[in-house]
Amino acid sequence: MSNSATEMLVSACIQFLQGFSPFDRMEAQALRFLAEHVKLAHFPKGARILASEMGIARALYIVQGGKVRARPSGGNSHVEYSAVLGPGQCFSIGALMAQRPSSSAYVARDDVFCYELPADCFFSLTQKSTAFNLFCTQTIAGLLNQSQQQLQLQFAQRAAEQKTMNSPLATIVKREPVAVAPETSIREVVELMAANHLGSMVVTDPLQQPIGIFTLSDVLKRIVLPGLSLEQPISSVMSTSPLTLPLAANAHDAALAMAMHAVRHVLAVDEGGRLRGVVSERDLFKLQGAGLRQIRHSIDAATSVDVLRHAREDVRQLSLTMLTEGVGGQEITQFISTLNDTVTRRVIDLNLDRHDLYGIDWAWLSFGSEGRDEQTFTTDQDNGIVYLCTDIMDRELTQLRFLEFARDVNDDLDKCGFPLCKGNIMASNPELCLTLEEWEEKFALWVRTPEPLALLNATIFFDFRPLYGRFNLAHRMRLSLFRQTQGNPLFLRMLAQNALSVAPPLGRIRDFVTGADPDHPGTIDLKKYGVRLFTDAARVFALANQVEATHTVTRLKRASALTHLPPDDVSASIEGFNFIQLLRLRHQHFEQEHGRAGDNLIRPDELNEIERRVLKEAFRQARKLQARLKLDYQL
Amino acid sequence: MAAWFSRLFTGQEGRDGALAINQQALLAGWRQLPEVDISRSHYRSRYVLVDVETAARSLKSDRLVSIAALALVDGLIDFQEAFHVVLAHDAPGADAAAGEASEANAPTAPNPALVIAGVPPVDALISFLSFAGKAPLVAYHSPLVGAMIERALVEHLGIVSAQPCIDLAWVLSDLFRDVSDVGDLSATQGGLDAWLAHFGIASIQRHNAVSDAYVIAKLLQIAIARAARKGFDSPGSLLELEKARRHLHQSG
Repeated sequence: MSNSATEMLVSACIQFLQGFSPFDRMEAQALRFLAEHVKLAHFPKGARILASEMGIARALYIVQGGKVRARPSGGNSHVEYSAVLGPGQCFSIGALMAQRPSSSAYVARDDVFCYELPADCFFSLTQKSTAFNLFCTQTIAGLLNQSQQQLQLQFAQRAAEQKTMNSPLATIVKREPVAVAPETSIREVVELMAANHLGSMVVTDPLQQPIGIFTLSDVLKRIVLPGLSLEQPISSVMSTSPLTLPLAANAHDAALAMAMHAVRHVLAVDEGGRLRGVVSERDLFKLQGAGLRQIRHSIDAATSVDVLRHAREDVRQLSLTMLTEGVGGQEITQFISTLNDTVTRRVIDLNLDRHDLYGIDWAWLSFGSEGRDEQTFTTDQDNGIVYLCTDIMDRELTQLRFLEFARDVNDDLDKCGFPLCKGNIMASNPELCLTLEEWEEKFALWVRTPEPLALLNATIFFDFRPLYGRFNLAHRMRLSLFRQTQGNPLFLRMLAQNALSVAPPLGRIRDFVTGADPDHPGTIDLKKYGVRLFTDAARVFALANQVEATHTVTRLKRASALTHLPPDDVSASIEGFNFIQLLRLRHQHFEQEHGRAGDNLIRPDELNEIERRVLKEAFRQARKLQARLKLDYQL
Repeated sequence: MAAWFSRLFTGQEGRDGALAINQQALLAGWRQLPEVDISRSHYRSRYVLVDVETAARSLKSDRLVSIAALALVDGLIDFQEAFHVVLAHDAPGADAAAGEASEANAPTAPNPALVIAGVPPVDALISFLSFAGKAPLVAYHSPLVGAMIERALVEHLGIVSAQPCIDLAWVLSDLFRDVSDVGDLSATQGGLDAWLAHFGIASIQRHNAVSDAYVIAKLLQIAIARAARKGFDSPGSLLELEKARRHLHQSG
């Protein structure tokens, strides 16, 4: 019987859950299933909700109201930690998955309401929802290899922090935004800010769309020092075109945007572009606990390579923290790339003091994984230089100056923890320190004669991205590359064939094929037989459709918008790609923790059941992408 | 006001004759349900939370528009155990106006949505009884809610329910005497909002009967937890507590 009362309560439950991760990412049907099968329980202050004595965990708990304190039960009383869980957070996933008693005790700190999902429904849900499945997988990620005590510690920490960086801006902006019209006087604005303890004021047009922002630090620089009249309109001193993000973007997106644009505020807007809230770096800071801003600040202010080396170590630490928090692979790799970019730029800045390149148009380029914004914990240098040389007679001399400069930058980057490239793919290599025309010629040659070496080069160098200097030089290189590839269909066909040269390591009978590397039996190289399957296919799609992006996920998304790739398939491949990246990061982390150089060799036998299943699905998605290539190029 | 629930069961002399055979069968089925043991623990009992929507142009023409109910089973709220029925207003003998908030401009045309969604009162009440069974009912201000249902039961089914009905307003004010921000409001109109605010319980849509039944169910969860700690560990003991409190208040 369809029941309007049940429907109302279920809808309200869905709406509540959608405010939190991972439910905000869950498929509509799965979310409904969840809401239809939970029961709401109440626990008075001090009541034990779940503890190891209660036996095998029988339900998933999602906090609906109130606060729950989690503590390791028994034994480790000397370990000083506990976590507090609030609305939207769930617990006992680890115990449920392993069908064992909970290793922590959960106690109500005040009146607590919890949704309870019975264990059998929990398992159905992991099968119905990829998003939820991934969430559970991430929750117990990496814990199996470690001791029980570490398991408890990490789980409790993760549980406490997990909501944070993944939560949408909608849940982060708490108070109503205060905004003023552009003609408001500076005096009024400053008074408002003082009265409301605001660090910033947003200026909106009549449609409530933000057109500017004014911050406390602007008061000094733009008003007090120039001695400006307070009767002037705020529009005369505000920063225009403020950075905005949709409400659905999450805290990571905001952190990333701030890091990329070196700003401290991001405005959250709804679908109509109307201001819905302000997210400050401080808000994120609070969420994150670790020092994104401090790191950036120390990078920007660094005056020596030594300082930068520490900053780079901080970047690594922060990424590790994010990893243990259960943050997704895409966010982490992008985060690492962004901050590594900042380090690189600062290294270049420092070297420019010693090398006079004044008057020459040039740009520093990244290639390979760095060019794709997909760096992991172990990454070496892949870079080059493009410059303009108006007088052919000056060419050699100019190149010498750049090579000298590049050598210093390469060495400094090495000192900062980016090892020199064994393949000599570095700006200090005369072959990679070229004028715009020379680069164009090089690219044209590879495209016209797609022999194996040229194809290999294409997979590295065509993923170029400008990092410093004149970005428009890189843009011109890209345009010229597109002209070449459009005129040479054979090249794309060869590139596609090259992308198909490695097949996903899935067997017909047994699950995984692990025999590819005789030196490391029982393992799968997640770079060669994982990530590369996706990046290679994405590169072909991008070049064929003149997509400028180099990031694999962006390439796939853009290409799908331009072609017949079904969006559902594309998002499935993106999830697969991200999962493999996450496994790689985790593995590298684990290896480095144990004093080994991080490689990409994972043993499927050591993964848990769910991870194996997801990994298989990821490989199947790679296979699908390859099938698409075969079809497109009749291979 | 005499407690409506305390009246004796008088169904036999009712209007069974006017009911269709299947309606009589359903009603008989409900009557034959065994009485509920109200001395079992809260956490082994089924409570039914009730709220009603009424339409009124004056106090006298108050009539039942809809009934919402939600069960609290073994201490848990189960969304599948929810009930809502809208009563059709074109029942014979009813006032021409279905009231509603539609005011004077449409006195002869009841809200069309209600008519379409509405169920004849007899069927509506029978289905409510089937949902509720003989579980103890809980309402906030049950004298008002109860009287509405009682009147409807008498009018349409010719029966008077003997089910116990607990007024949460009295129960809460007794269990949480220490709560100052709710104070004496608790036993009078408007107290519900104060309790909800005190416990930080958000409504889906305040004054919607289903939503109100839901928040009252959450208040009941809080109440039984507190009651159990004070030794009132069953629906029966909650009834005792409510009676005593009411008596104390009225004589004091």
